[in-house]
Formats: sequence, C-alpha cells, structure tokens
Amino acid sequence: MRLPRDIGPGAAARRALLADVLIALGIALLAFLLAAGIGIVIFVALPTLLVLLAWIATEAAVRGVRRRRLSSAFKTGTRESHAP
Amino acid sequence: MPSARSGRRHQSIPFWRRARRILLLAAIACLIPAGISYVQAMGEKHNVGLGVRSVEWLRQNGGNSIVSQIENWYYTLTAPAKGGSPLRSLPQVGVGSAGEGPGSRTRDYRPPNVKPLIQPALPGEGVWKKAASHAGPRPPVLLTTFRSDPEYPKFVAGVAWIDSSRTRLAYVPGLAEPPAPLAHRGPAEVPEAKRKRVVATFNGGFPLETSNAGLIYRGKVKEAMVNGVATVVEYRDGRVDVVPWHQGPGAPANVWFAKQNLPPIIEGGQLGAKLSDGPEWGETVNNAVRVWRSGLGVDNRGNLLYAAADFQTVESLARILQRAGAVRALELDINEDWTSFISYRHPGAGEPANLLPEMLRPPERYLTPDERDFFAVYLRPGQRW
Repeated sequence: MRLPRDIGPGAAARRALLADVLIALGIALLAFLLAAGIGIVIFVALPTLLVLLAWIATEAAVRGVRRRRLSSAFKTGTRESHAP
Repeated sequence: MPSARSGRRHQSIPFWRRARRILLLAAIACLIPAGISYVQAMGEKHNVGLGVRSVEWLRQNGGNSIVSQIENWYYTLTAPAKGGSPLRSLPQVGVGSAGEGPGSRTRDYRPPNVKPLIQPALPGEGVWKKAASHAGPRPPVLLTTFRSDPEYPKFVAGVAWIDSSRTRLAYVPGLAEPPAPLAHRGPAEVPEAKRKRVVATFNGGFPLETSNAGLIYRGKVKEAMVNGVATVVEYRDGRVDVVPWHQGPGAPANVWFAKQNLPPIIEGGQLGAKLSDGPEWGETVNNAVRVWRSGLGVDNRGNLLYAAADFQTVESLARILQRAGAVRALELDINEDWTSFISYRHPGAGEPANLLPEMLRPPERYLTPDERDFFAVYLRPGQRW
C-alpha cells in the first residue's frame, strides 16, 4: 500500500510534520538509551533548544524587518505616484 | 497538463529547515521527562540553594563527569596567585586564651601545639584553644588555626582535635544522602534528645554515588564496602578509627558504622602513596586543584583530628593533618557548599560556631535537617562539660 502522492500542500505539510515528529521521538529515545543519565540528556537538550529557538526568533525578526521595509517602500512609492 | 496541486507539491520545506525542526522537536521530547524529574527533585525538602541542588541533581543523573570537568576549568581559571601580603592576625577560634592550651596544670593528655610553618609566627598560631566556654580541665574539643603553606602565606587552615576518650562519634544520615532505601534514617539533624551532649558536628564525606565506596550503618551494609578505600569506622565498643579497609564487602560483627571515602591520604604517619589523580579517586575535581577541602584523621592515641581550609590540594590537606599529628587520615568533602565543622560553646547545642569564619554554611547547619550525612560528636555518658 502506497501513500497517495497527489495531495494538497496542507496535507503534504501535515505529513511532513508527522514524519518529523516520529524521527524526533526516535532521536529522543536513542538519547535516553545511550546517555549515562537523564542529566546528560537535559545538559545537551536544553542548550540545543535555546540555540534553535534563538535562531528561529532571529530569522523571524529579520523577516519581519524586511517585510516592513518592503511595505513602507511600496507605500512611499504609491504616494509618490499619486502625488499631484 | 500538470494540475495546480501537483505544481504546488514541489514547494516543499527545505531540508535544513526540516532538520532544524526535527532537532527542535527532539530537544523538546528529551526535556519533557527530564524536566519532570528535575521539578520533582527541586520540590523535595532540602536546605541548599536552587543552584547547588540543580548541580546535585545533574550529578545524580549521570552528569557527574560534566560537573567535575566544569569545576576543574573554573577552579583552574580562578586559582590563587602565590605570595601576597602577609597576614597580621589569624581568625579567632575557640574561647580559651592561648595560655589555656596544652601544658596547663593538668596531667590529662593534651595534644602538642601545631608547630607554625611560617616565621615569625602570628599570635596564637598553632596553639590549641578550648571550643566550649564551660569545658573544664579536659576539654573534649580543641581548636587551632595556622598558615599551612609558605608559598601561600594568606591561607589559613583550621584544625580541631577531639578527645576520643571523652566523646563518641555518631554517623547521622541526611535527607538525601545516603539515598533511599535506608532503615532508621532519623531526623537528618542533631536529634533534640542528644543536643545537651553534642560538642561538635562536621561534614560526612562524598555521596555514595560519587565516592563509589561503601557504607555500613547501624551494623548493616547499605553499600558494599570496598577494600583499600579509606574508612571512618566506629566499633560497637565505641572506639573510632580511620583505616584503609581490608575486611571485604560485608559488615564485620564488631562494626557499628563505617563510611568510606577515597584512598587514604595519610598512612602510618606518612603521606598516602596515591595522592595524584587516578581512577581510584573517581570523578571528582582534580587532586591538584585548589579548592575548599576537609579531612579527618586520628593521632597516635586514637583521638580524632579534623582539618579544613580553602585553596587546598589533596596533598596540602594531607600535610595539614600530618602537621597536626594525624597518623592515618582520609579526605572528606570538598567545595565550600559541603565543608563544615561546627563546635557548640554551651550545652544544648548553644552558640554554635564554625571552625573558620570563611566557611559558607551557617553554624546552625546541623540543627536543621540537612541534605547530606554528617558526623556528630557527643560527650560519652558520665562525661561532663
């Protein structure tokens, strides 16, 4: 049995998310099995989480600034073109 | 002609973004059970700060080597410089004047004063003083301080001498150490009923998890004893000793308690043969790192000697105890959070005082439930202050 290939972007995104969640759970399970203790797991996982969150936040902030700049440039351009 | 759906199918998330998402989800998945364990541990009854408790939790959950490595880096980076301006006075310890030390009008044994290492000696340096104001001609506990290292003339060691003929040593389990299960754990503080007889209390050595050594409590094995490891042992007849253990993993019939900690640092009056780092020291701060250290020994009459000081290596701690007269000794706890020697100046655990004023933990430490196990020194029945 094959998964349907001709699916919408929303379904594809959900499918990708499910796959990612399963892989992440596998990695977490492996970490708990291989680490000497739960302390080691938290010692690695916490900085990883913080770095990734900082990365995502920075990316979002940069995107937001760019969008605002584009938007203000567009508005300025519109005003100029309609100026008497 | 391709449909609109299949056209959009190719606009998938970039690989690196998915990898990042997987890592983020994995980190969250790891942190949920770890976080539950951490929050539960922090919610338990304890008397140390959140930072110390967090480090202890990390140690207890497989992070001991990480913590030790970070401590090594920290203490190496903050190592004190040699030399410095000389001290003009020593911290005041005890209550008796210098004249009340050894050699006063009594035929009872008093230990010889500790010969100062640095000349000229400071007033009272190495001179034993009574720990309790009401102690008679045979004080059960004597205290002194001296500068222990000519290369570091600012460092002051505190030493206590405990008369074993007048006192009895008790091992008191803490709230979390030794870990459960443990029968007869007790109140984790000096019991109310025994406070009228308590003369001193001091820290009890590494947790079992990090010492990789044994413990006998109330005649029963809590953790299998390890041959060759230095051991504080109290026999059922009340005699106390510090010995390298050679009696196998079980509890000999004549032993009431025995707490092991690391290799011996003094044997036969000589410095221990294994004072350098090695596997027998387990995962702890390197032996040459200067940090708060404490140790316990016995003199050639079987009396106890306790020493503690900041900025000590294992070897310098051993030298302090040796200079004070110890013929056998072991290292107890290290780090400022765990090193405590408290004497009580009045019966009823009155006016507790730290051996050294720089000791971080309050003198009331063992009058409230404590995390860690400790030793309490009581006057023997029939003995008076």
